[in-house]
Amino acid sequence: MAEQKWPDKYPIEGRRGRKYGTVAAMKVAPMVKAAIGGAVEAKRQGKAIAYCFIESIYDEIIRAMDIVPMWTENYAGICGAKRDAQRFIDKADSLGFSRSLCTYATCGLGFDAWREELGEMPPNAPWGGQVKPDVMLSSGQIICDPRNKWYQACQQFMPDVPVYNCAALWPLYEDDLGRHDVEAYYVKYITEDLRGLVRFLEEHLHRRMDWDRLWEVIKLADETTDLHVECRELRKAVPTPMDTGDAMNTMVAQCFLMGTPEAYDFFKELRDELKYKVEHKLGVVPKEKYRLIWPGGLPSWFALTDFNYFWSKGAVFPVESTYHELVYSSKELDLPQTDDPLEHLAWKWIRRQTYWWDKAKKRPGSEPDVEKLITWIEEYKIDGVVIHEAYSCRSWHVGLLWQVNQLSKIYKPIPVLTLKEGKREVAYRELPSLVLESDMIDISSYSEAETRAKIDAFIETLESIKSRRVEA
Amino acid sequence: MDYFAGVDIGSTMTKVVIVGQEVIASVVRVTRPEQRRLAYFTVNEALRKANLSFEELTYVVATGYGRINVPFADRQLTEISCHARGVASLVPEARTIIDIGGQDCKGIKVAGGKVVGFVMNDKCAAGTGRFLELTASTLGVRVEDIGELALTSRNPVEISSTCTVFAQQEVVSKLAEGVALNDILAGLHQAIASRILSLVNRLGIEPEVVVTGGGAKNIGLVRALERKLGFPIALPPDPLLSGALGAALLGRDLVERARREGSLPTRQERRLEEVKFFA
Repeated sequence: MAEQKWPDKYPIEGRRGRKYGTVAAMKVAPMVKAAIGGAVEAKRQGKAIAYCFIESIYDEIIRAMDIVPMWTENYAGICGAKRDAQRFIDKADSLGFSRSLCTYATCGLGFDAWREELGEMPPNAPWGGQVKPDVMLSSGQIICDPRNKWYQACQQFMPDVPVYNCAALWPLYEDDLGRHDVEAYYVKYITEDLRGLVRFLEEHLHRRMDWDRLWEVIKLADETTDLHVECRELRKAVPTPMDTGDAMNTMVAQCFLMGTPEAYDFFKELRDELKYKVEHKLGVVPKEKYRLIWPGGLPSWFALTDFNYFWSKGAVFPVESTYHELVYSSKELDLPQTDDPLEHLAWKWIRRQTYWWDKAKKRPGSEPDVEKLITWIEEYKIDGVVIHEAYSCRSWHVGLLWQVNQLSKIYKPIPVLTLKEGKREVAYRELPSLVLESDMIDISSYSEAETRAKIDAFIETLESIKSRRVEA
Repeated sequence: MDYFAGVDIGSTMTKVVIVGQEVIASVVRVTRPEQRRLAYFTVNEALRKANLSFEELTYVVATGYGRINVPFADRQLTEISCHARGVASLVPEARTIIDIGGQDCKGIKVAGGKVVGFVMNDKCAAGTGRFLELTASTLGVRVEDIGELALTSRNPVEISSTCTVFAQQEVVSKLAEGVALNDILAGLHQAIASRILSLVNRLGIEPEVVVTGGGAKNIGLVRALERKLGFPIALPPDPLLSGALGAALLGRDLVERARREGSLPTRQERRLEEVKFFA
């Protein structure tokens, strides 16, 4: 592939693999390392540690109360990325946890059991290890059973550590139910749930919530999200200046650090970099041929180089649903005014979850998640869909297959007659999909040769569709 | 006159097809560890049959899981595209292709000879030729005979496991119970057909359905698939050769398209010579 003329502003010298990736994304690994190592150090200093799940609702609350989060799913992801999760999964297996459970959970449970058994971190624990918490904050919502049950199971090894389950529920989509008909009820419920969380933290960690500080953190988090939305919009450019391979790294600022000045600065820097790259037409690959969407689900953290393999074929992912599905600006969410910061958080949560409802209602038989994908497929000029069936993430991936099936009803492999400015035109709107099969951290389920053979075949399919369109 | 070669190195069999206006030579050999050497010998044999020299080949396309081991190929393409192209030339109305190979099983959805979707079973031996080979070996019969034997059954037994290892255990216990050989085989063929169709159904099966690969030569399996589908399956004249034929035809398509566009197809610096991995 021909090289791009690249500016010194964002140097690529000495970079391997993700040569044209964002400079901002390269700063993420040290940030994660600092966050994990920071938790270990914080524990030593006697600060309060909470086991947490990302994309819950309580980020601003824990930041305002000076609680140090330990993101347990993500620590399992780090073990996976370092190809060192298996020994912890095996430990959970030996304790009788089923191998068909979420491997994030079994990795975390195995780690905790081992740490508590030894009275210290397991030998050579990745990046210093997962530190013992003072409290555990579950948040199953309605998506995931491990997020409800994992920390309860942890209490087998840490009976002295209390759990609060912050349910943060939202209504399921129904054709005959308007989002505005039900949201007030849910907001009331979630606000009370959060009030219970604050009381729980005050009681167990012996501190008081500073409500003015909470408003400040919320304001900072909302401004950070607005910057993140700008990044999302900039990625629509052709060629795209950033793809999913990078987004699986930049998610750290959103999911681990929301409500901190560090996250704000990160997205500001990323936004500026993307703006520059769009203005100068600097793409993720020298010659962008195919634009793909990652419609949700977790990647194989130990095989993120598969994204580089797509790059080597001229294929990029300008958009993904994973870690982006809840990123909407304050303006997009149109949040009602309130003096109660907890109610503000509840409104933000519920409006994010019901964001695509109105659009879904306009297409009978559709669903909000499908409408989100259709919108992005059109706005980002997408040529194909790639999903990863992570066998142990049951709740997410069942829905993904259904969504891809729904898309195939709209994007059919036949010519479609359309009306454009009053003229009849033949359009080809087929959208092939690729299903990769493995797991997010269980490397025993992965075969690089087979995965790449599938990618090769998918690229040939895209090429064949493109050549047919040209011939037509 | 232009000639095109397709070389399909599968996990079990290596196939070569040479086409001009039509197929002029084909060779099938068992795949061995030294695939580069095998590719050399098999192509040479096909050239001899076609009465051609290597230099007379306009374009060579390699496919199959060993495609990277054909150093003299101009281009490597996956077996998905090649099977689709090969089948389109033999059964133009094909919409769904089921390729039952030695170590994997694929479903391919096609429209106008082009791939529009595919699925692969690459994690598990169930639904592959290897499953059938192991079954034949456990029962002490030739793999070529098990399909015909299965068709003689009037009372197929139910084989609940489709895991290759556990299914063999189940077969042994059925034998111990005194169940007739043909009834066991019929049950196994039904189980394997269910497994294959559950994979391919992800694409939405539409007729014409064409079965290729070694599995297509097992009449018991083809009939079991037909019973479950509820309509007949089309079989190409030589189902082992569809991939190699498709590779040769895709080579021809590439050359023709390049010429239409006034350019030359990208060709490799190539020499047909024996390459050895081992001393």
